[in-house]
This record gives sequence, C-alpha cells and structure tokens, in this order.
Amino acid sequence: MPVHLTRRTMLVLAGAGAVSLAAPLAAQGDALRLAFIPQENPEKLLGDIEAITGWLASEIGVPVEGFVTIDHAAAVEALRNGDADISFMGALPFVLAEAEIGAVPLLSEVYRDAPSYTGRIFVRRDSGIDALADLQGRDIAFADPISESGYLYPLAEFVEAGLIEGPGAAEAFFGRVFFAGGYQQAMQAMAEGLVDAAGASQYADLLLTPQQQAEVTWIAESAPIPSHLVIARPGLDADLQDRFVDAMLRLNEPEHRNKLRYLYGPDGYVRADSAAYDGVRDMARRYRLLE
Amino acid sequence: MRNTMRVLLATLASALVLTGPVAATPAKEAPWLPEAAAYRLTLFLGGLEPLPWDDIETAWSEPYRGSEYSTGAVEWLDRESDIEPDGLLNATMREDRQAVFAEATRLIALRIEEELDRVLAADDPAAAQLAVQTARELYRAFQDGIAAADPEAARRIGLAWLELNSSTGSAGVLGAGATSADRETMQAARAFISGYLAENYLLDSFAPRRTLSALPETAVLSGKAIEVPPSLPPGSDIFDQDPLPLLVLNFEEQGIDETDLPLVAYGDMLFDSAQIFGSPARDLRITCSTCHNRSDINQRLFIPGASHQPGAIDVDGAFFNPIFNDRRDDPIDIPSLRGLRFTGPYGRDGRFASLRDFTRNVIVGEFGGEEPTPFMLDALVAYMLEFDFLPNSMLTTDGRLTDAAPEAARRGEEIFNRPFAGLGDRSCAGCHVPDANFLDRQAHDIGSVAPGYEGARAGALDTPTLLGTAYTAPYFHDGSLPTLAAVVDWFDETKSLGLTGAERADLTAYLETVGAADEPFEAFDAENTAFRLAFAELTTFASTLDTLLPRRDAEHILLLTDTVAADLSADASTMSNLAARPEVYALAERLAEVGAAVRADDWAAAQAGWTAFKSEAAAIEERAF
Repeated sequence: MPVHLTRRTMLVLAGAGAVSLAAPLAAQGDALRLAFIPQENPEKLLGDIEAITGWLASEIGVPVEGFVTIDHAAAVEALRNGDADISFMGALPFVLAEAEIGAVPLLSEVYRDAPSYTGRIFVRRDSGIDALADLQGRDIAFADPISESGYLYPLAEFVEAGLIEGPGAAEAFFGRVFFAGGYQQAMQAMAEGLVDAAGASQYADLLLTPQQQAEVTWIAESAPIPSHLVIARPGLDADLQDRFVDAMLRLNEPEHRNKLRYLYGPDGYVRADSAAYDGVRDMARRYRLLE
Repeated sequence: MRNTMRVLLATLASALVLTGPVAATPAKEAPWLPEAAAYRLTLFLGGLEPLPWDDIETAWSEPYRGSEYSTGAVEWLDRESDIEPDGLLNATMREDRQAVFAEATRLIALRIEEELDRVLAADDPAAAQLAVQTARELYRAFQDGIAAADPEAARRIGLAWLELNSSTGSAGVLGAGATSADRETMQAARAFISGYLAENYLLDSFAPRRTLSALPETAVLSGKAIEVPPSLPPGSDIFDQDPLPLLVLNFEEQGIDETDLPLVAYGDMLFDSAQIFGSPARDLRITCSTCHNRSDINQRLFIPGASHQPGAIDVDGAFFNPIFNDRRDDPIDIPSLRGLRFTGPYGRDGRFASLRDFTRNVIVGEFGGEEPTPFMLDALVAYMLEFDFLPNSMLTTDGRLTDAAPEAARRGEEIFNRPFAGLGDRSCAGCHVPDANFLDRQAHDIGSVAPGYEGARAGALDTPTLLGTAYTAPYFHDGSLPTLAAVVDWFDETKSLGLTGAERADLTAYLETVGAADEPFEAFDAENTAFRLAFAELTTFASTLDTLLPRRDAEHILLLTDTVAADLSADASTMSNLAARPEVYALAERLAEVGAAVRADDWAAAQAGWTAFKSEAAAIEERAF
C-alpha cells in the first residue's frame, strides 16, 4: 500500500521525541525495539508509538523503543539484522518473512470477536448482479494486487467457482480489472458506478456513507483470512518475549483497552496460532509469492 | 494491507461512534489534506455575508479544527510543494474575494499537477501510488462541483484515476509479486485529468462568482443554473455527543407508551426531521435534535463561520437562511431544553413568550423551512412540553438540599441565599429561585453582554435554570465561562461580593450539586445498544400512521415516511450486528413504499404496506440486533 510518508516529512519527524524514523540503536539485550508500519498520517503514528512504548516499558520493565519503517520489507530487514525485535505485520508479509528469515508469530489482532476476517465481492443492489458468473465481461475494482482481502482471497472465489483458471487469468473473465489503491477507493468506484463490482474486506462497506451502504450488497465471501499479527525476530530472548506477550495480552483487560487505539485499533489480541496462517501460506504459493 | 486496514479500522471506530438515535447519522468525513481543507473552507467562508476575512486567513495559516495534521496549509505547502501561495496571501490581505477564489483555485489545480508530475517521475510503484493518492485527495476539493455540473466528465475522470493507479504497477510484498508500470496508460490517464484541469481550474482568470463553489469554469460560462449540493466545510462537527445525554420524558416516566400519544410521537419525529427545514439545513440533515441533543445540548456542535466555539452557533447568520441574516456575529451557546414548560419566555433574552411562536421562528426564520402546519406546531409543542429535568436525589422538588448532598454544598447553600450589596441587596437565590426550578422567568442585565452601541439598553437576558447545568458547560449566553467555578469567580469579581477562596469553593460545590443528576447520560450496553434505541424511536414515530392513515392525511404521512425511512436506513450502519442490516434496509423500503402508495393515492396499498411494516418490525425486535 502507498504510505503517506515523504522524504520531507521523514526529515521533520526524525527529530520527534523518543520515537524516530531513523535507524534504531544497535541491538541491546536489555531493551526491546518495536518496528511499526506507517499509516495515513505519520504524525499521529509517532504520537501513538510514544504512548504505547511508554506503557509497555513500565509493564515489561525494560526500555521499549518504537520506530517507523518505510514499509513491510524494511521492517523485515530490521528484524533480520537485529535492528528490531518485534514488528507489527500483515498476514501475507508475515508468511513471506517467516520463509525468508524465520520470523515468529506472537499475537494476532482480534476484530469483532475473531482473529480473522473475510474478503467479499460487493455490487450495487440495483445492478441486477446476483452471482459471480454475472460479472463476466464486467469491470471490477480491487484494492491492491498484494492485499489479502482486497484481491487475493476475493479473486480465489472466482477460481473456486470455476470462472477463472487461476491467478493471472482474471483479465480473460472480467472486462477491466482495476487496482484502486485501497478498500475505500475500490468501494467508492463501485458505489459511484465506475465499475460493476469491488473486491474488498468484509467491513469495507462501512467506509461508504450510510446512504451508500444501503445501496450496496455482497454476492460472495472468501474463506476466513487470519488477521494481522505481531511477530518477533528469531532468537529473541525467550523471557523478554514472554513478558512482551503477557503485557500485550493485558491490553484486553478493561482498564487497558483504551490503549488499543495506539496500536492500529484492534478490539484485542490473542496468542498467534501459526497453523491458522496455513491458508495464507497456501494462497501465497498459489499466487507464486512463495516458493 | 496495514495501511488500508488502519484506515478501515479508524473508520469502523468512527462508524461506531455515530450512535445518534434517529439523528442525522452523517458519515464521518475522511481527513482532508491541509491545502484542500483550506480551499474548501475558503469556498464556504467566502459565501458568508459579512465575509469573515480573519477566518479565511486562519483557514490557510492554521490546521482546520480536528485536523490530523499539526500544520496549516501554508506551512504544509512550504514543506511538501514548490508552489508559492504568495498570490493567495496577497489577495486575502487585500480582501479581494474574487482574487482569493481565483488564486486558491489555481493553487489547488497546480498542486494536483505537481503530484501528477511526481507520479510520472516516480521510480518505484509505491512512490507513484503515494503521489496518485495525494493528487486524488486534492482533486476531492473540486469533485462535488464537477459531479454537479457534468456527471459524465466526473465519471471519466473517476475512471482516469483508476487507470492511473492501476498502471503504476506493484512493488509486491517483500520483493515477491512485483509488476512493472504501464507508462503509456499512465500518461494517457494523466493527460485526460490535466486536460480537464487546464480547461476549468488552471486558468489565468475566472468569471465573477456570485457564490463560491468548486463548479468548473466551463459550466459557469455556460450560464446554466447548476446547484452544487450543500456541504459543510472541513472542521465542522454535527455529530452526537459521547456520552449521549439521557432523555427524560414525563409520560415515559409515568409508564405511558409513546405509541398511545400520537401527537407527541409525531412531534418527536418532527424534532428529529430535517424535512421541516429549508436548504441547506435539510440537505445537511440538520434537525432540532442536532443542537438540542436528547432535549439537552450538543457540546460538540461546530460549524466554521457560524460557531465561535464548540456548542455554540449563530442561527441568524448568512449560512442557514440568508433572508434572516442579521449581519451580526453573535453566536450563542446552545441552551438545554430540559424542563422547557417551566423555563419560558423563550430565547436567551426571553423574546418569545410563546413556545409555539418560538418554534415557528426556528423553522421558518432561522432554518428557512416552509410554514409549518398547525398540526406540526401542535405536535412539536406537545412533544417538547414533555421534556423533564434530570432527577437529582441531592435536591428536593422545592429546591432544598437533601441529606445526600455534600457538606461543602450545604455551606454553599447559605452563601447562595445571602444578600449582597453588589447584587442590590439581593441573593443569588433572588433570581435563581430554588422552589421555582432555580429561575424567576425574568430578564436581568447583569453586565454579561457587551453593548452593541453606545447607550444601548439591550443586555438583559432571561434567568437560566441551574438544574442540570453540571453537564452543559460552558456557561453564559456566549459560552464565555468554561466552568461553574468560573461563573462564581465572575460574579465575585464583577459584583464585588468579597467571597473568600473557601466561600467560592463552597458556592461552586452548591452549584455543582444543584446542577447534578442521578443519571445524566444514556447507559449503553450489549443489550441497550445505540441502534436498538434508534430502532425503537423510529418504529414509535411510524406508529403515528395508525392515526394518520385513517384520516388520509397525505401531507403529514409523507413527511413521516420521508423522514423515518431515510433515518432507519442510515441508522442501520450503526448496527453492531452487521449481518442483520439487510433486514433493516428492507424494513425502511417497506415504509418508503407506504409513502409511494400515498403519493399514488392508493390507500389500500398504503394500509397493506403499513401492516406488513408492523409485523416485520416486530419480528426484528424479537431477535437480538
């Protein structure tokens, strides 16, 4: 995904408080370094990181440093070379990072009581489109070619239905295929009638106005997609790792829940179940992202 | 991916706070880029009379209210862009409205062009997509104007953005799945967007604008009358409060069902209906309850150019009803309507003796609505007369403290009843009469209003009740005092009361005790959800059809079905049980069908639709939301 981080903003933000965008200090045994993936507004992320690392430090009893990486690849690189101990990460980059550097899954995010979500194919209710087959020769907008719920999983539904031979053959079935740049852009394109359908997260219709929400529906839903995770570099001190995980799980308690908003806003965390990501590993192989 | 997930979740979170029972349920806007926000504020403020030049200057120098960016547009441009805003700043200094419009419009168009250049110059897909996203966010500043003037152009530009983003390729994930850019498609899409900008926004001069809007120049030159749907500028906030004030209705406390009070229920519906107002309030879905939330106040409400601080609004300014514009910048703090039948006369200065006259003035004068029917006024008044004060177990009904009141308040009560020379040998209780709901139904000039001209005798304001005031900060007609302690200090200083620090604290404790309530806010939980409350209210409103259909009262039926069907559908977006939304949409459509049948004069179909609505609503009610 594109991130709202320019070279100019990076220079300004590098000087901000306890958090930084610059390379972190070399790895030290008595501190924990957290890598964050940037979001829309880096200024807000830096403030959030400061709040959460301060709390984590007091809970774990070691200094906790947070820094923003340019993207997933940079976060994985930081884990590989020991500049970061922990990183927040999507499911797909995690399975690639696991294969590449042996990254360890620690925690999965929970939304609406589940550590998973789905992708859906949305259409306008008045479009007359009731089934995936109706989309033959029609235009569709996905979020991004490496988005699990915004492309890979929804597209797999067409493969499952026997309408598309496999990844890479989508163009032969649809009219035009767009990558709109995000869930919201894909959903807006569908709601405004620029395209006939959108492939996006099951919750993506909430990005539309209430009036638009009433005008759209969905015709297919993917298998569950395991949610985003918190991962560790291989070889992180086991005791430190345990204390970090225990602290993070305390965020589920009522008195600490308000801090979840500093962390990409999940409803909570559960211990990650590596087997739950088998589907993503399989999906990554099908799309030839993983050997 | 992370970025979109974060945005989605932020929006989910905000969707969840849109808890307004039967309120407008507007979607929370995505954040604006600083310069796009400043442009939209300029268009909005530039349409006001008299034009608030200081606000326009601030729009470019400061972040808009609630902005996620800590810098204003000018500083942001200095950091992110090579475009100089000198021409714009100069035009603002000269207070030249047309020049400001032209300079600001060109500036946004140039910024889009600058980002489009960056898209083409980017050496990797991520950088290109970032520039596409920024350019689109800037284009948003023009989007409603183009959509209103030329839907086909808007559609083709929308497709061009999709083509542009899709053709940037993909960086893949951790190096896997990368695809290269399709330069030819990128250039073609860019050329289309740039061509439109050149023809409509990137011009040396613009035709004079009577009202400022984002309409494309070619549409303005065509001379056609094109209405751009009204919108509020960035920084506006008309959402409900959290926590939500508790509504105390007299009949309800007595165990009487609102569905058995059709006139009250219809008034309740009108109180939540934007249909009774004129444009722009109606289009923006502003209702009585937008400001007087649950009979109380909306402390958050803010509209740039009309509010000087949250919870305040100038209802006789240029925005809502130009013919009613008094050309005075005099926003007032929104008053609570709790206990309304005891608080007349109405208006901060008691200008209306009759609640009915006051209400008509709000609808027709302040918000530009059609003349309400006698039935509508009867209904609204009947409903509002049910507003009760919040129960407070620290206070007897005749205004004395009970044993539950704290000791400091007891000491404060003595001070409250003590005559002071500075108050003309009267006490606080002389006006805020404890056994008369802490008011005297008279207007007094206490020196809190700055005179509008020399020698003005126009500063007398109606004594406000002190009941429920612990939750209605800030205080005074203009909201100039932030706390009850500040109110005590103000009287002590301006009236030379000579109170000690301890006495001021005790008097404050007394005010806080009198102004307290046992349950000031609606308590939501897994059972009593915001949507459940909204659903119950909306189906109650609809119940007035049992009265209106037999009377074949088409006018009032249509007002009801138009209001409730739209609100029901919009409120479905706040449901925690997302899977049940389609049933609520279907129910809303059922009500819309009743309206359609009445329009077609098919009363049998209308009755059948209403019967079906009732059974479907009952079925939904039985299941958990």
